Amino acid sequence: MKSDQIKPNKPKIAFFDFTSCEGCQLNKLNLENELPDILRHVELVEFREAMDDKADYYDIAFIEGSLSTPSCINRIHDIRRRSNILVALGACATIGGINSMKNLQPIETVRETVYGEEKYRFPTLPAIPVSAVVKVDYEIRGCPMSIPEFLRVLKALLMGKAPNLPDSAVCVECKLRENECLYDRGIVCLGPVTVGGCEAICPSFGQFCTGCRGLVPNPNKDAMLDILTQHGLSLEDAQKRFLLFNSYNIESKSIT
Amino acid sequence: MEKFNLSTSRLNALIKHLMTRGIVYAPHKNGEVSFSFDEVRDPGKVILNYNRTLQSIKKYFLPPREQLLSFSLKSGSLSKVEPENPLRIFLGVHSYDMQAVLRLDYNFSQGNPELNYLKRRQNSLFIGVSFEPDTYHFSRSVGIMVEEFDGFDLFLDKHSSGYTLYVVTQAGEELLSGFDHLEEAPDRPATHREFRNKIKYNFNRLSEVFDHAWDSSVWEEIAQRCVGCGTCNLVCPTCYCFDVEDDVNLSLADGSRYRSWDGCMLNSFAKVAGGENFRADLSDRQRHRVYRKFKYITDVTGEPWCVGCGRCTAYCTAGISIVETVNRLCEEYEQTVLRKPLAKQDWVL
Ligand code: SF4
Ligand code: SF4
Ligand code: SF4
Ligand code: SF4
Ligand code: SF4
Repeated sequence: MKSDQIKPNKPKIAFFDFTSCEGCQLNKLNLENELPDILRHVELVEFREAMDDKADYYDIAFIEGSLSTPSCINRIHDIRRRSNILVALGACATIGGINSMKNLQPIETVRETVYGEEKYRFPTLPAIPVSAVVKVDYEIRGCPMSIPEFLRVLKALLMGKAPNLPDSAVCVECKLRENECLYDRGIVCLGPVTVGGCEAICPSFGQFCTGCRGLVPNPNKDAMLDILTQHGLSLEDAQKRFLLFNSYNIESKSIT
Repeated sequence: MEKFNLSTSRLNALIKHLMTRGIVYAPHKNGEVSFSFDEVRDPGKVILNYNRTLQSIKKYFLPPREQLLSFSLKSGSLSKVEPENPLRIFLGVHSYDMQAVLRLDYNFSQGNPELNYLKRRQNSLFIGVSFEPDTYHFSRSVGIMVEEFDGFDLFLDKHSSGYTLYVVTQAGEELLSGFDHLEEAPDRPATHREFRNKIKYNFNRLSEVFDHAWDSSVWEEIAQRCVGCGTCNLVCPTCYCFDVEDDVNLSLADGSRYRSWDGCMLNSFAKVAGGENFRADLSDRQRHRVYRKFKYITDVTGEPWCVGCGRCTAYCTAGISIVETVNRLCEEYEQTVLRKPLAKQDWVL
C-alpha cells in the first residue's frame, strides 16, 4: 500500500441545528481568528440544513438545539446513523434548555396556545435534549455554548483523544478566581449545583448563575432547594430557578 | 525579643519602606464584605483589620492554575517553566494562615519534593498581625493562638492606641533597617481577646475520637445537606490537591501542561480509569475531607491539619460547620465509647 493511501483524509465535520435560537451558531462566527486554523485540519461538509449536498458520512457531527417535533426525531436518527462522533452543542442540545419549559404544561395546551386553529398542521413534542433520543458522545454546554470548550473538544477529537470536560460546580471556578460569593451579598445563585467550565463568568460580573450549563452529576437538588429557601426565596421561586434551564432534568426525574 | 511602638499613623510609612525592599502583598477589600491578599500599590488601600481573606496566601506558592511545561509534539521536546522567586513580603498575615504555610512546607518537602512550591517559598518574609476572632475562627481549639509568632519575621500586635511591632527573626530585623525613629515599646499586659475553645476536646485527643468515627451516622447527615460544590476544599489553606491537564494549540503541534487546584469533595476527584469512582457518595467524600484534616496526616505529624481559619464553614452556602461536625463526633465518642460498659473481650485477657 502506498503511503498516500494510508494517510487519512481530513475529517469531515458537519453542524446541524434543531430547535434553538441559533445563538450557538452566532457564537461560532465569533471564531474568526481561529477559523482558518481549524479549516486546515477539517473538511466542513455541512453547516446548515439548507445545504443540500448531503454527505453520506460525517466524522464529527455537531448538533445544536433541542428535539421538539416528530420530524426532529427522524432527522436525529438519520444523522446519528451517518456520524462517527456526535457532539451536542449548547444548552438546548445538551439539557433541553429554555425550550424545555414548554414541558411544564400539557403538550396540547402548548400546541393550542402557539398555533391556535392551525394546530393540526404542527405536530409537537416535549422539548428534549439530543441524548434523550440517540447516543451523544460529548457535550459542550452553555447558553450560548462556550467557545473555549468547543475548541478544546475539537482539538482533542482531531488528535484522537477523549476531551476532558469538567463536571464540577461553577463555585470551583469562582474560588479559583477568588470572587466574593454572591451569597455574601445576599444574592442567591445556582452555581453550587451547576456544571462549571464557563470560568464562572456570570458571578464574576456580579450576576447570579441561572444554571445554563446544566446540573452536576447526581445533584443534591433537595439540599440546593434548602440553600435557596434558607437564603430568602420561597419554595416556589426556588423551584422556578431550577426550571429556567433544567426543566427537562427536573421534570423527567421529578423531585418537586 | 525586641519590640517597638508603631502608631497607626506611621503604618503607611512602614509599608512604603517595605515596598523599597521587595514586592509587598497585603489584605485589600474585595467586593462588598470580603478581603483578598493583593500586591500593594497604594499603602492607603491596605486593610490590616480584617476577619479573613477569601483565599489564604497559599495562592502565591501554589497558584490556582499554573503552567508546568511547554512541549512540541513534532520534535518530541519539552521544557519546564521555571517559577520566579523575587523577594516577597507578606504583610498582615493571621497566625492560622502562617501555620497553614508551615504545614504545606511539610507536605511539599516529603517524598518527592514539590520543586515549584519550594522555589516560590524561598524568598518570602512574613509579617503577622493580630486579629479579633469572629464566630467562625477556631484556631485556638487546634492549638494556634492569635499571637502565635512561629513562622513570622515580624509581628504587629494591635492594641487600643496602635501596634506593638515584635522583631521575631534576624531577617525581620534586617527588614526594618533604614526605617528610623522606632522607639522601644514598654512591656504591656497581653491584649485581652475573647477566644473561647470551640471544639469540645483538646486537639490532641481528636485522633482517638476519629478512631471511632468511621461508621458514624454524622457523615450521611451532613451529606444530605451538602451539594458537593467543593468550596470547602478550594478555600482551605492546607488543601493541596491539584489536577494536571495538557492543552495543545490550534496547530495541534505544540502545547502546554497546566495544573490547577482540585478538591476531594468534587464528583470526579476519585474517578479512575475505567470510570470507577471510589468515593461516589457525598458522605464518603465528607468523611474523607474531615479525616484528612484531623486524622491521616495528624497521626504522622502530631498536629491537626485544620488550622481553624473557619473558611470552609463561612463560605459553605449550605451552612455546614466543621466545628459542629467534630463536636458531634466527640459527643458520639462519649456516648458510645467512653460511657459504654467495656465489652467483654476488652477486659478479659
Ligand atoms: S443553547 Fe442557548 S444560545 Fe445555544 S441555541 Fe440554545 S438558547 Fe440559543
Ligand atoms: S457566586 Fe455562585 S458560583 Fe460563585 S461561589 Fe457563590 S454560589 Fe458558587
Ligand atoms: S455562571 Fe451559570 S449561567 Fe453563567 S454561564 Fe456559567 S453556568 Fe451559565
Ligand atoms: S462547601 Fe458545603 S456544600 Fe459545598 S461541598 Fe463543602 S460542605 Fe458541601
Ligand atoms: S478545614 Fe476549614 S477551618 Fe480547617 S483549615 Fe481548612 S478551611 Fe480552615
